[in-house]
Amino acid sequence: MARKSAETKKDSSSRIATSGQDLVEVKNLVKHFPVSTGLIASLVNRGNIPSVKAVDGVSFTIRRGEVFGLAGESGSGKSTIGRLVLRLYEVTSGQVIFDGIDLKTLSAENMRRMRSRMQIVFQDPLASLNPRMTLGQAIEDPAQIHMPELSSDERHQRVLNILHAVGMNPPESFYNLYPHQISGGQRQRIVLARALITHPELIIADEPIAMADVSVRSILLDLMMKMKKEFDLTYLFITHDLATAKYVCDRIGILYLGKMCEMGDLHEVYDHPLHPYTQALMAAVPVPDPLQRRTTKMPEGEIPNPINPPSGCRFHPRCPLAKEICSQEEPVMRELRPGHTVACHFAEQFLPK
Amino acid sequence: MANQIENLPNTPPEGANWESDLKKVGFVRRLLRARHWYGADWWFVLISSIAVIGFIIVAIFPGLFAPYSPDALVGPRFLAPGEEAALSVLVVPSSASYSNLKELAAGEGSTRPRIGVVQGSSTAGDLNTQAQLIDQKLKEQGNGVRFRPVIARYASLDLALQAVADGTDSAAVVQSTEFVSVKAKFTTLREADSLTGETAGSFALGTNDIGQDLLSRLIWGTRIALIIGFTSAILSLFLGVPLGLLAGFLGGAFDRILSLVMDSLYAFPGLILAIAIAAVLGPSILNIIIAISVLYIPTYYRIVRGQTLSVKQEVYIEAAQSIGARRPEILGRYILPNVIPSVFIIFSVNIADAILTGAGLSFLGLGLPPTIADWGIDLARGQRFIQTAPWMITYPGIAIVLVVLSFTLMGEGLTEIFNPKLRDR
Amino acid sequence: MADDILYSVRNLTVDYKTRGGIVHAVDNVSLDIRRGEILGLVGESGCGKSTFGKALMRLHDGPASIPNGELWFDGQDLMKVPMKDMPAIRGADIGMVFQDPMTSLNPVQSIMEHLTETIQTHEPKVSDAAAHARAEDLVERLGIRHERLKEYPHQMSGGMRQRVMISLALALRAKLVIADEPTTSLDVIVEAKFLDLLKELQEEFNLTILLITHNIGVVAEVCDRVAVMYAAKMVEVGSVEAVFADPKHPYTQGLLRSVPNIKLDEGDLYKMGGEPPSLLHPPTGCRFHPRCPKAMDICSREEPAFESVAGEQLASCWLYQKADGKQKVTNG
Repeated sequence: MARKSAETKKDSSSRIATSGQDLVEVKNLVKHFPVSTGLIASLVNRGNIPSVKAVDGVSFTIRRGEVFGLAGESGSGKSTIGRLVLRLYEVTSGQVIFDGIDLKTLSAENMRRMRSRMQIVFQDPLASLNPRMTLGQAIEDPAQIHMPELSSDERHQRVLNILHAVGMNPPESFYNLYPHQISGGQRQRIVLARALITHPELIIADEPIAMADVSVRSILLDLMMKMKKEFDLTYLFITHDLATAKYVCDRIGILYLGKMCEMGDLHEVYDHPLHPYTQALMAAVPVPDPLQRRTTKMPEGEIPNPINPPSGCRFHPRCPLAKEICSQEEPVMRELRPGHTVACHFAEQFLPK
Repeated sequence: MANQIENLPNTPPEGANWESDLKKVGFVRRLLRARHWYGADWWFVLISSIAVIGFIIVAIFPGLFAPYSPDALVGPRFLAPGEEAALSVLVVPSSASYSNLKELAAGEGSTRPRIGVVQGSSTAGDLNTQAQLIDQKLKEQGNGVRFRPVIARYASLDLALQAVADGTDSAAVVQSTEFVSVKAKFTTLREADSLTGETAGSFALGTNDIGQDLLSRLIWGTRIALIIGFTSAILSLFLGVPLGLLAGFLGGAFDRILSLVMDSLYAFPGLILAIAIAAVLGPSILNIIIAISVLYIPTYYRIVRGQTLSVKQEVYIEAAQSIGARRPEILGRYILPNVIPSVFIIFSVNIADAILTGAGLSFLGLGLPPTIADWGIDLARGQRFIQTAPWMITYPGIAIVLVVLSFTLMGEGLTEIFNPKLRDR
Repeated sequence: MADDILYSVRNLTVDYKTRGGIVHAVDNVSLDIRRGEILGLVGESGCGKSTFGKALMRLHDGPASIPNGELWFDGQDLMKVPMKDMPAIRGADIGMVFQDPMTSLNPVQSIMEHLTETIQTHEPKVSDAAAHARAEDLVERLGIRHERLKEYPHQMSGGMRQRVMISLALALRAKLVIADEPTTSLDVIVEAKFLDLLKELQEEFNLTILLITHNIGVVAEVCDRVAVMYAAKMVEVGSVEAVFADPKHPYTQGLLRSVPNIKLDEGDLYKMGGEPPSLLHPPTGCRFHPRCPKAMDICSREEPAFESVAGEQLASCWLYQKADGKQKVTNG
């Protein structure tokens, strides 16, 4: 296959092939963003600089060939995790292990080369394309960077092939256009094409359809699944929309304020949500059927400030079932059903009898 | 029911998208279509662009436009624009057969014709000179004929002319301008050729204090002004833009130190700084250019650094990092092209201001050696005679204003046109 | 005009001046809003729903103009009201809630100041103390503790700000609230609570709400009737139950089937071909015909009328009409 021959030419130091089932392993990932304060304030606080605890101890694995969903609202840390997996941000602590390699151990140059194996599709296609580069140039750039062995013609042809694969036909006519000259849905395809050109193994999709028109979303999702089959991909699918996640994900993790609440096989979690937050989240999703309007009450309050998260279980101030222990002790992830873990002191009460 | 991806009617964007339309039709059509949108502004831009191109052509080929060399002393001093230089002319009876001294000398009659002049007028000297020249020539011819007119001096113009009308004198030599005013009184007389054979000239913009044609000096001055303007602007650009890019991109100590230096330079009033540098370096074109370009580096630096900082936050930069682009590539292909449009307008305003500053420096005598025709020097010269010969200072001043205005307006307009994403108003 | 109809829009056209020419952002649209209902206005980007919402208050920016239409609000044609009298109607009778509350609230005024200024501008006789009291009651009702009244917009969360926007509308006992994508920038739980609030307000104050959104789920959760727009035209109107159970217009059919439903086991989502058309050069005849799986010959030639298809359900589609050359527009 074309992919294999390109692989053998790559620098061997960045590729320690493992045949393990897990493509990505995330262990106790922590990312704190220091809040910039003035000189006086930092002196007063005696070096205890406040920080946004965007990700505060998250662990999960992504198996080869699956679509792993990461769902949550704002402040959950899902987008930050996506970037940490790609090492676009440096971790505060914890590990990201890709194909058996701890990314932190890689030199800057080797990390750069590693990027040909892991790509990202952003939420806003217009913002993620350089307005001064033609579509062809944008897609070609990763190939130029990572595949110097290709001639200019070969690269050009590769771009055309990818354009065709994502449904931009005839490919040649799109090569010289600029991002603002095509529609939103088409732009997202271009972004996908750019992510695919080096035939990566992992693609992080950060809310990839959130900005597309409703009628275009299903087409884009379908395209992403088709590309997954064609290119043998693994997805980390970041979303706030649990309805969409249901259609594409194999496994899913629910995040709240930088911590994982619940994780497991998709149908498992959706049929038997064990965490009160997951339950609330699922109930909150608007259902396009007027005969099935929501009757469940929503939790009180709003998502707290991640600079000062609540003690113990982060959800306790809003949880209708909170007891004293919830504010004192942080619950750990426990496997209550096969392949289904949840971090709640009282999750057992939701187990099906 | 299932719509396959391949069957999607995925046609390239058609004429519905006006921007792709524009790109296809090329620059000129784009210009004309832009007219509908920009209205009055479009005219501003068009006129100023034509003016700028005009100035550039004049600067490249001054010889084609200037009637005289800028240093040549071509006429009387302090001649007002359009004013006829006064010439000495011969005034003869209308019926006379001769029209100039030569003919008079060759004509019949006494060898010593009487020619009248007004006492104290400069025409006497001219007559003398011309008569001697003719005499000399005749002597060389050697046929015995000589020309030794009697020069009769009269107290006033009227008397001199009256003598010719009476027949006492064969002719009178007067200033052409003087004759015109009394012509009506002496209907029997006519104005013949000028003494020296020249035709009366006037200078479109007048002459200066030593008799140089102002128009020619203005035209030649354009070359100097534009050379100073462009060269210093280009120098500033090539120093300021990369520094700004690097400072914005790298940040840290490099950025802070550089910004400190640039802000200090920027805080100086421009002209003072230029004066200081020029005074230290000494007068020459190169030194003026250096002095002025130092002035503008901070402007490019600040704008480019600011733009770099904001572009750095954009998602496509993060995307560039995610595909593994190295830093030079991110700087060169992702940041620089998005920062450049703002540089255009600075460049144009820079040229305008550089011309202004250059003129200011030479006005103060700090810039160019006075042998070079330059607007600033002309301004300085004209300042002394502002009461008596106001045109000396006015026209260079107007020239400076026009050039500065044209470049400024054009720069603004060009930015809009060359930007592929024509910005919304 | 029937008494149960609060706002009757007839043949509204809104033009937009663009570089490529004049665009009809809203093209000959008619719609009735009934008293006390929550009417959902749904469509994708560029369909004209936001422009329509703003036009109802005759709120439009520079390049837009209304060349044609009647805006019968509570018995009065707003098109005939001089522009200088419109501000009195806006706010007092018609309130608006925008998508991004951060930019629609004044960052240098506290919430209390916002409310009291609104009240006192429209009702100058109200004293400061009375205005304060009213403001406090209002925000209490909306779930904001009145200690927070002295805060500034940037100190509040998105959900809070949206509530403040509603309270501004309610402060003057507006009859109609136009909410333009009010929950698009909100998290899903906050959105759910906001929708609950809308329903409560509808009941308690007999408030009429025009809810403009692209989110089909939101419409199903909270609206009584729904209007669907496509490419500046109205294509279907009816009660939510009727339209969701049996959508008549092919666009509505496709749209409803392409939206994921968390309660259903996943099958395939419907994929609508093509993209929304440019309004500079819209398709001839029915604007949806290039993408319509049921397009017929006449669809590309003539535009269908917007008329009743089944009782109170209206649609503009040749599937339900005979081409008799007459264009009728009935009440929506």
